[in-house]
Amino acid sequence: MATSSPSTAVPGARFVDPAVLARIGNLELVARTVVDGFINGLHRAPYFGASVDFAEHRGYVAGDDIRRVDWRLYARTDRYYVKEYEADSNANFTVLLDVSKSMDYGSGGATKLEYGRILAACLTYLVHRQRDRVGLVAFDRDIVEHVPPSARHMEVVLHVLDRVRAERPGALRAPLHKLAEHFGRRGVLVLISDLYDEPDNVLEALAPLRFRGNDLIVFHLLDRAELEFGFTDASSFEDVESGEQLPVVPDTLREQYVSLVRAHIDALTRRCAEARVDYALLDTSAPLDHALFKYLTTRDRLMRVR
Amino acid sequence: MSFLAPLFLVALAGLAVPVVIHLIQRERRQVVVFPSLMFVRRVPYQSVQRRRIRHWALLLARLGVLALIVVAFARPFVRGGSSAAGPAGAREVVILLDQSYSMAFGDCWARAQAAARDAIDALGPADRGSLVLFAERAAVSLRSTSDRDRLRAAVAAAAPAAGATRFSPALQVAGSILADSPLPRREVVLVSDFQRSGWRGAGTARLPAGAALTPVLVSSDPNARNAAIVAASLARSTFAGQERITITAGVVNRSARALAEVAATLEIDGRAVQTARIALDAGGSGSVAFDPVTVGRQPMRATVRLPADALEPDNAFHLVLRPPAPVEAVVLEREGAPETSSLYLVRALSISDDPRIDVTRRTGGTLSDEDLRRASVVIVNDAPVSAGLAPRLRRFVESGGGLFMVLGPRASWPPEQPLLPFAPGPPVDRSRGDAARLGAIEYGHPVFELFRAPRSGDFSAARFFGYRGLSTPAAAPAAAGTASDVLARFDSGAPALVARAAGRGRVLMWASTLDLTWSDLPLKPIFLPFLHRAVRYLSAYVTPPPWSTVGQVVDPSRVRAESGEPRLAVTPSGRSVPLDDEGSDVLELEEPGFYEIRGQPTDQRPDVVAVNVDARESDLTAMDGRELAASATGSAGASGSAGAVADVTPDAQERAQRTWWYLLWAGLALLGVESMLAARASRTT
Repeated sequence: MATSSPSTAVPGARFVDPAVLARIGNLELVARTVVDGFINGLHRAPYFGASVDFAEHRGYVAGDDIRRVDWRLYARTDRYYVKEYEADSNANFTVLLDVSKSMDYGSGGATKLEYGRILAACLTYLVHRQRDRVGLVAFDRDIVEHVPPSARHMEVVLHVLDRVRAERPGALRAPLHKLAEHFGRRGVLVLISDLYDEPDNVLEALAPLRFRGNDLIVFHLLDRAELEFGFTDASSFEDVESGEQLPVVPDTLREQYVSLVRAHIDALTRRCAEARVDYALLDTSAPLDHALFKYLTTRDRLMRVR
Repeated sequence: MSFLAPLFLVALAGLAVPVVIHLIQRERRQVVVFPSLMFVRRVPYQSVQRRRIRHWALLLARLGVLALIVVAFARPFVRGGSSAAGPAGAREVVILLDQSYSMAFGDCWARAQAAARDAIDALGPADRGSLVLFAERAAVSLRSTSDRDRLRAAVAAAAPAAGATRFSPALQVAGSILADSPLPRREVVLVSDFQRSGWRGAGTARLPAGAALTPVLVSSDPNARNAAIVAASLARSTFAGQERITITAGVVNRSARALAEVAATLEIDGRAVQTARIALDAGGSGSVAFDPVTVGRQPMRATVRLPADALEPDNAFHLVLRPPAPVEAVVLEREGAPETSSLYLVRALSISDDPRIDVTRRTGGTLSDEDLRRASVVIVNDAPVSAGLAPRLRRFVESGGGLFMVLGPRASWPPEQPLLPFAPGPPVDRSRGDAARLGAIEYGHPVFELFRAPRSGDFSAARFFGYRGLSTPAAAPAAAGTASDVLARFDSGAPALVARAAGRGRVLMWASTLDLTWSDLPLKPIFLPFLHRAVRYLSAYVTPPPWSTVGQVVDPSRVRAESGEPRLAVTPSGRSVPLDDEGSDVLELEEPGFYEIRGQPTDQRPDVVAVNVDARESDLTAMDGRELAASATGSAGASGSAGAVADVTPDAQERAQRTWWYLLWAGLALLGVESMLAARASRTT
């Protein structure tokens, strides 16, 4: 799935090249720049989440907390009504960032890890503004960093994001299964990974996360080179994780490779949809607003469903 | 098919390099780091075949290019066989068979005969063969015959001679036979032990164009015992009035192993008298000195002999020990001359060593015919020659004697006898003023040749206070028929010494005295050598060599046939060779040993000539036969063994060697094909 042009999807959004963002060291500054610009560009879009917005009144029933009775309405109507609010804020928001070695790849500007780091920072910042609790898990074949969700962990998350390095080969199943036991409270989980595994294995790894009622959003990060395989010279290709080398003549291989990647993405899209997991493919050369937009639409949809 | 530079073929091992590199070397391509090869690995790619050769045509083209270039550099050529590659047609084959005495070494001769028979057997029915035996000279044994049986018989009948190897005459004879042949193919088979000493003069001998030369080397065991006597020296001494000769022989060990004890025996007149022993290193040399031998009145035959070994002819060295042969000189003085008038002259002559001069003093009246018969030189020392004596002296000179006319104030010669080159003129007095000195001297003449070099004698130091002027007699020189030479002149230009040949004899005229009357010449250092040289010249004295070498010639006319008997020479093998009495022929020395020349007066023993083989021939160091072939044919192509006849005409050689050129072009063409294949392969992979 190629990324569509963000300018048409989100008019007025502020587009910043991820390669430029990657050169900015301060993740908070990056996140603020991106998120604020993004939000300002929305122009009171209906998707703005409201954590304290009034939703409806309902009649008092026994057992309701009397502190939630709307006394002003009682004064006018002489009936007890309880005030209900739209957003139930303070949801847990956790970013699951894949820091396996394959993420440390970038054919042009930013590597997938840098892109994922900025994306995680932006989302964290965005969510933090909504008073949600933010957490972070960095994993490769095991859990590398774990920041439990908390309203005060914004700075910690950004710091950890800044610190993680892609050093080891990765796996999805073991760390995600281990994580699933920790998410006792339902929340929003965002998985940022390049998902180099069979679709069945990916879904098997994701399944436990869904069991606790978590909302799971999968951002599938791929480099442009991984999507299009734009190499020309016959070379030895080295697997960055295993070190294995294969002689490859790109011209003869490209067509089959692209079709295989496409089939992989299609399979993931289909299987995620079946598993009610939101899946989004992100090209690391595309600006971040697409990812943010994707998140907000998802969040909106989730709230509507509720 | 052979190669001129076969060492280049070693480079063919380089063919393995591309294959080995392909097999053992990892593909050194640019490494591209990629996140995961999950999808790449799924592509049905022939990665498992990467060690296998995919472009066979390309590999073969590259190997072919390498092989062609290497083979081209090795310069292949097609050797023309006797029937295969050579031009068709009958052959004229000249077999040169070396019969020098070195071929008697070991089994060389048998092998040489076998090689010659092989060459004869290789003759086709239309071919013609010639057999030339050569050593010092070449002799055609059989010329251009197709009768192979006769050729075989001639080879079987041949035997090693005593001469030394010389290739030049043999090649010239072969060239003349080939030049006369009408047959289209001309070949020479040279069977020899190819001694390097035989090369002398062979550089100029050329075979006709198109002729091929096949050298066939025959050699024997170099470790076989082989010692040779290569030289001898004679030292004469006088002991108790008798002359003695000390013989020293030079012995060389030609073999490759040391000889612990070589016994050299001295034989005098066929009788062993002394034996000396010497040890010789491998290839070393030494000398053997024998005790002095007293020389009798007749020539003695001496032989130094070594024990038998692989090469026999060089084991004996023959010498003739001759008694001293003094020059008999008669000094003719005037009647009543004082004792001192010939003092300087006689004393000077009597101390001469080489030759010894026996001086007899006579006056004009006492000179007998016997004196003249025995004398070689007559010195007329300031004496008048009477009209009766002059004809006797003239006959003496014309029969081979020498006359030295010393012109003092009293000398005279009857003008009617045309013997002297000049008539003695009146005396010239130089006692007042500056004395006369010798000016121009003909240093090229034998009399003065000794003084030719700088600081070899200063004739200008002698002062002459008087001399006789010489005037040309009216008819004398013309009557004598020979011209006269002025050998020295005084500073006034007047002749001082005049030479003239008359009949078989010689005449010298000295215009001044040989005592202190008119000059101080007898007091000068040059006086003795000058006088000795003059007498030696007049007597035509020649030191007879103690030995000669096979192949040389001697002039037997020096043996005077006064007895009237027919002269003949007896060779060492006992064969008689009649000698022409005209004296125009020469006697060729063909065998080592002692030649007797008979026909002397009955009271003398026959003259003896000792003949030895050429010592150079005993050095068996061989040269490369191909070198000789290249020189004789003007090209470097001829080589091979017996029976293999090389075609070495320039055209044929060019044809035979042109292959490398084609190979090089084929290699370049294949290189172009390889480039195309490589371009195509790089596009497809």
